[in-house]
Formats: sequence, C-alpha cells, structure tokens
Amino acid sequence: MKTASYHILRVGMAITFIWIGILIIKSPESWGGYVQPWVTNFLPLPLEQIMIGTAIFDIVIGILFLVDWQVWVAGLLAALHLLTVLIVSGITDITVRDIGLLAATLVLMLDDLPIKIKKNNHE
Amino acid sequence: MYIGAVFVIIRGMTFEALIFTFSILGISETVYLIKKRILSEKPVCPVNEDCTKVLSSKYNKLFLIPNDVLGLIFYIVCSLIAAFLVIIVQPLSLWYILLSVLVLVGSIISMYFTYLQFNVIRAWCFWCLMSACTIWLMGVTILLNNIL
Repeated sequence: MKTASYHILRVGMAITFIWIGILIIKSPESWGGYVQPWVTNFLPLPLEQIMIGTAIFDIVIGILFLVDWQVWVAGLLAALHLLTVLIVSGITDITVRDIGLLAATLVLMLDDLPIKIKKNNHE
Repeated sequence: MYIGAVFVIIRGMTFEALIFTFSILGISETVYLIKKRILSEKPVCPVNEDCTKVLSSKYNKLFLIPNDVLGLIFYIVCSLIAAFLVIIVQPLSLWYILLSVLVLVGSIISMYFTYLQFNVIRAWCFWCLMSACTIWLMGVTILLNNIL
C-alpha cells in the first residue's frame, strides 16, 4: 500500500502540471519566450503550436497523476519533459525549481514502478 | 493588515488558482472513494472513525447516483470553469455565476451530509468531511472575491 506522503506528492504534482498546462494555453507566446533562440531553429512547427502541444502534454501527465493510474509512466514522461525544459530554457534563476520538480517526478516514477521491473532491479 | 493581505492573495488570477486547486483536491478524494467502492475495499480512515458505516449507509446516494460520483462530476465541472476563467473563454460572467451557484448548492448539500453524520448515522467519515471542507473553502474563496 502506498504511503500518505506518496499521495500528497502525487496530487501536488497533478495540480502543478495541469495548472501549468492551462497557463500555457492562456498565453503560449509568453511561455515560448523561455525557449532559447537556438532551439527555435530546430523546431518542425511554429513555436506557438509547439507550446500548445506542450500544454496538452502537461495536462495529460497531470491527469494521470491525479487519477493514480500508470503513475510511473506519467512520472517517466514528466521527468523526460522536465529534462527537455532544462535543456531548451537554459540555466536561469528558476532552474532550481525545475530541478525540484524533476526530483519529485522521479520519486513518483520509482515508487509506482510495476513489481516486475522492481524485482529485476533487485536481482 | 490581515484584510490587506487577504485582498492581495485573493485578487487577480489567485482566485481561479484557489478554486482550481480545491477542485483538484476534491477530484483526488472522490476518485479515491470511487476506486475503493468499485474494488469493494475499505478506505483508509485516518481519524479512527467508522468511514464504512457512513459510506455504506442508505444516504450514500442522491437521486440514485452515488455521492462520490456526484462529487466527482461537481469538482470536474468546477475545475473546468476555473480553467475557462483563466483562459478567458466567454461569457466569463455566466461561468462565474454558474460556479457560484454550483458551490452554493454544493455547500448546502455538504452541510446536510455533515448533519446526517453527526445526528443520524452517528459516525464520522474522514473523506466526506474533507470533501465538505473543500467545498466550503471554495465558497469562502468566492465570498472573499465578491467582498474584496
């Protein structure tokens, strides 16, 4: 059985991811401003569309956290997403916050790993 | 000074953020209760009260729909309205009125359920009280937003 701390972290991360998704949908161009100029040269679609896609991705991750279903998959996707954010936005004053979020997503992923994978890791 | 602080906190997008946060908390509570009911498992009852007595009582349904499902629908609608208010989906005034009416009705129903636990079933359910407090906090947020 999962601990209360796990559920508190899970719901907290759900709020963060869904809320960020909504804020990005509200003003994708502002959030696109965090993307480093060198990254925009490699984008296959306009930055605004990429940001809307990111928002939907964030909301889906948040919903998976919220309903406590396939949390390890959501945690893995969230960790990869945050790593991408760290790369494309560069090191800024708010990088520490993303590192904290990255750590939290890894905790959720590792705690919810299917028993099969956990067993293989122990062997 | 405190009123000023509350004014700063509640103004702007913080109102929507609070309503959204409470709605998400409500969704997590109701999803938990629905899962436990479907799996026929006892929910964790942190205050050592008899949650099962309340959850399996004859008052666990309203209009033939389980209360947890009604609660989930309520919180999902509230979170969507909060999102519409943030993204500025028109007509904003209609969303705001709908949210206020929903929370008012939800608060009254929560008071009724709390009364049932206190005086009729004579047992407390932690999750039901949590949900009631969540709805009342949403009501307080709306009231403060109107007053300030």
